[in-house]
Amino acid sequence: MELIAVEKPASYPDKERGERLNQQLRDKAKELLERGAVECVIGYERATDGSSARPFFVYQPEEVDRLIFDQTCTHNLVKYLLNKKDKTTAVVVKPCDSRALNLLLNEKQIQRDKVFIVGVVCPGIVETGWNQVSQTLQGRCQRCRQHTPLVYDFLVGEPPAEEAPPAEAYADVAEIEAKPLAERQTFWDEQSKRCIRCYACRQVCPGCYCSECFVEQLQPPWVGIKIAPPENNMWQTIRAFHLAGRCSGCNECERVCPMDIPLSLLNRKLEKEVWELFEFQAGLSAETVPPFATFKKEETLGIGE
Amino acid sequence: MTQTISRRNLLSWLGRLLEERLLIAPTHTTGPILFQPVSKIEDIVLDFDNTALSAKEWFFPATETLFWAETTDGRTELVPATVEREAVVFGIRPCDAKGLALVDKAFLAEPADTLYQQHRDKAVLVGLSCRKASPQCFCTSMGTAPNDPTHVDILLTEVEEDYIVQIVTEKGKALLPDNLLLESKVVPPPPPSPPVVSAEGIEEVMRQAFDSPYWSRLADRCVHCNLCAYVCPTCYCFDIRDYESKGKIERVRSWESCQSPGFTRQAGGYNPRASKGARLRQRFYHKLLYFPEDFGAIACAGCGRCVQVCPVNIDIREVIADIQTIGGRNVP
Repeated sequence: MELIAVEKPASYPDKERGERLNQQLRDKAKELLERGAVECVIGYERATDGSSARPFFVYQPEEVDRLIFDQTCTHNLVKYLLNKKDKTTAVVVKPCDSRALNLLLNEKQIQRDKVFIVGVVCPGIVETGWNQVSQTLQGRCQRCRQHTPLVYDFLVGEPPAEEAPPAEAYADVAEIEAKPLAERQTFWDEQSKRCIRCYACRQVCPGCYCSECFVEQLQPPWVGIKIAPPENNMWQTIRAFHLAGRCSGCNECERVCPMDIPLSLLNRKLEKEVWELFEFQAGLSAETVPPFATFKKEETLGIGE
Repeated sequence: MTQTISRRNLLSWLGRLLEERLLIAPTHTTGPILFQPVSKIEDIVLDFDNTALSAKEWFFPATETLFWAETTDGRTELVPATVEREAVVFGIRPCDAKGLALVDKAFLAEPADTLYQQHRDKAVLVGLSCRKASPQCFCTSMGTAPNDPTHVDILLTEVEEDYIVQIVTEKGKALLPDNLLLESKVVPPPPPSPPVVSAEGIEEVMRQAFDSPYWSRLADRCVHCNLCAYVCPTCYCFDIRDYESKGKIERVRSWESCQSPGFTRQAGGYNPRASKGARLRQRFYHKLLYFPEDFGAIACAGCGRCVQVCPVNIDIREVIADIQTIGGRNVP
């Protein structure tokens, strides 16, 4: 998609309403900080390009006026909670981010009573890049039908009367699946040969929190240090597999990739497999036991019988 | 009088170079525009802001074999890697050429990095002036300019259908035949003006700001990937590993950065830069204080790639401006 540079940031279609919601967000943040309920509020502020957004950590009540929420607020801030485990923290979450939050709660990576969830009613996020904001919703937002976060302590905005559950259309995944093996191989080789293994995809992923990633383990050395096609393929494949049944679809990995590798195709292929096998979608609840954290006898799939 | 070359002559000259040498130029991929070896002239992209990775990757590749070691009959032989082909890097921007000049200071200081030296010696740089400044650029604040010929062998500046040619070095003179050039009265267009940040006196304020809480606040937002370092035309850190296959050892180096937790981890597990704040601070201190102390220049060419690609908008221009204000004061 072609991005266009714009003078002003995208906001809710109704500007006045957008301002009112920003005020609601700032008032809540101020109150939480003033009464010492949280040490920090993680939200968004305007980036240095003047049009896109960036994460913003608010520690002082007098800083809350920099907080914003609009259709450029693409980052999944839930990732940052992994760095704030010992402090009570408030975090601004969209519906997709709330699924990642459920994932981390389910996997016991964060404690519910240490997090104050400021949910935002989400109008969908637009395609953004540095100094570029498009008027088009991101692909993931076109597929998502959820406006209200699945879990929150305080909600900014008015939720719609009816919500449809997160829906997924896999047309692009099916297109790749339909190609012959050799063609699929060529497609992915072409993509992954550009990978520079900067690990931005891993660093922004809320599901990637191993204290030592397999690519950095020396004993045994699972993957070498070469930034070259075989190693890159290995990295991308295992990264995706480790997220099977866990990826909540925030698509941060694809957004940050400097080499424009379509990582969501891999993630959503596995999401589709998990749905077909287990009828499971990650992050819909903090309580449901995910498929790879349990085992049923009838799941042997004929192996080892 | 200035010398020019027509677009047609430029392309035919490049076609001839392609037959004799490795020609590396900006090309389209299924993703972003990158410097790649060109197999046909039509693949060269002439109209671009800048490539996603700098031309550094052809002098200090993402992955490179340093040598092989093979043992036969109890005798071990070391076979160093060598750079065989003469190359032309076409379309390098003045900022990226300045970046190479900065990497030279580190890699060509005695004892020189022999592979890097070979890559440099075997390549001719044909630069392209920038017609417009992108909003993330700040080259003029880092001692270069959109039309700076200093660090290339030949500089081309587009004017309508032609290019103004500045032959800068003997290497450049030897590469471009005189008969392709025309004498012209065309006046070089004024260079575009990129955004400006004042880095004057930055070394002294960096010395004062080492213990500032500013760094841990900034590290809150940083996701600690290696992206800024890998797109940077002046970052030159690497890791080394030995690969073994059937008794033959290959020693490889690959890009690595100060942002990785493993970068400074020592045997036994001790890590002198264990916190994310310390690692992020290191990046800016290396660029703005340690490199200037060692080599007399800020390790930044102002290309703006890190500004453009940072997932969370860590903007080095904002950092410089903030540190200029904060100095030694104990404020975040």
